[in-house]
Amino acid sequence: MSAGTVPEVSTWGAFVATLRRDLLVAFKRRNDLLNPIMFFLIVVTLFPLGVSPDPLELAGISAGVVWVSALLASMLSLDNLYRADYEDGSLEQLLLSPQPLFFLVLAKNIAHWLISGLPVVVLSPLLAYMLYLPEGAYWTLVLTLLIGTPVLSLFGSIGVALTVGLGSRGLILAVIVLPLTMPVLIIGAKAVTDVMFGLPVGSHFALLGAMLAVALSIAPLASAAALRISVN
Amino acid sequence: MWLWFSKLGSPRWFYELSGRWLPWLYGAMALLLLVGLTWALLFVPEDYQQGHTIRIMYIHVPVASISLACFPLMAIAGAITLVWKMKLADMVAKCVAPIGLWFTGLALATGAIWGEPIWGTWWAWDARLTSMLIQFFLFVGVIALRSAIESPDAAARACAVLAIVGAINVPIIKYSVEWWNTLHQPASRISMDAMSPNPPEIWVPLLIMISAVYLLFVISLLLRTRNEILVRERRSQWVTDLIARSQS
Repeated sequence: MSAGTVPEVSTWGAFVATLRRDLLVAFKRRNDLLNPIMFFLIVVTLFPLGVSPDPLELAGISAGVVWVSALLASMLSLDNLYRADYEDGSLEQLLLSPQPLFFLVLAKNIAHWLISGLPVVVLSPLLAYMLYLPEGAYWTLVLTLLIGTPVLSLFGSIGVALTVGLGSRGLILAVIVLPLTMPVLIIGAKAVTDVMFGLPVGSHFALLGAMLAVALSIAPLASAAALRISVN
Repeated sequence: MWLWFSKLGSPRWFYELSGRWLPWLYGAMALLLLVGLTWALLFVPEDYQQGHTIRIMYIHVPVASISLACFPLMAIAGAITLVWKMKLADMVAKCVAPIGLWFTGLALATGAIWGEPIWGTWWAWDARLTSMLIQFFLFVGVIALRSAIESPDAAARACAVLAIVGAINVPIIKYSVEWWNTLHQPASRISMDAMSPNPPEIWVPLLIMISAVYLLFVISLLLRTRNEILVRERRSQWVTDLIARSQS
């Protein structure tokens, strides 16, 4: 296959192709698709068991519980992001491609969020109901998760990219990534708690949006640099 | 300028230069520590509310202020490593991480010792305490990554990326944490700034102590970096000569 016969692919084309491929691979492996969601449900279940089944107590911590569980579920699913590609060599092909790595990484991150983040967002009202979250706070919870979970995927991607070549990854990934995600957790959970107390939350959303904007523009750059370091 | 820059990249040049600096730094640190500690521990007047416990400040504040400088320093050294592939910058980045971890831990520990008599608790989820704790975790992450990657070159660049990402995050963490807590307990801020009527007899010894502990930081960073240079350059001629000379 010489360079002359390969049809020109636009950056947008490569972006869409990467996104579609990752989604396709995920849907072929149903278990990988379900595990993060099940993990999310199980972690949330642990809190009433461990803390108290009392509705008042649960209502007070419900926002934090859902947010922390979403964070952990996102962490757990991160390992799938580059590992299989690293092992079968397709990650190297990605790095060799003439397209800017920034957009390919972004496509992979978006695919990861669609697979692991979006289901959590969709399921969150059900869990909020089971944890007695006051009714007025539902929309805030869903919206903060909708803005916040992509940031988790984007930051997490940097950690996975840095550790993809290592033998044992699980714990070091958590040690690297979790401190970076703490601001998102603080603001996201705070917004929901504030709504419960009737406080205004516009500024929380502005901050979350700003974090998403910063993460979208910087994180893929760092992930791309990290991938080039790890794969060499 | 460029000559100086390329010279600075040479570990040998740095080793010899820092060897000439060290005696002066030791002397200055000893002098400042002696003056600062005697003044702070014996002659500073007791605080009208806190009594003798105010003296913990003369350790706590210098240590905390230096721990805040370590992460930016590590990120800058990391950026130099990535851009110019300067070996010395990576050695500094590697050596500053455990020192930063120690100073952050010391700041937390001295803060706890100070907090127990004054606030009545060793720990509070106060904004400053929490952001220091998160900074502690960030250092742990960088050190863990460094030890996990076997190839020194890959470890250098991976840690540089992580340090830069972390340094971008440090102010975000600081502000989000501050803002997270000030909503619920604005009172704790006042207890921290309770000594705002601040006469020179309080802050001059503090300034001396800050300079002394800064020198301690510089010295430990230099010593660590010098060891790192010797380890990494152990196969080069000048290091074997150095060892031969020290053994004869």
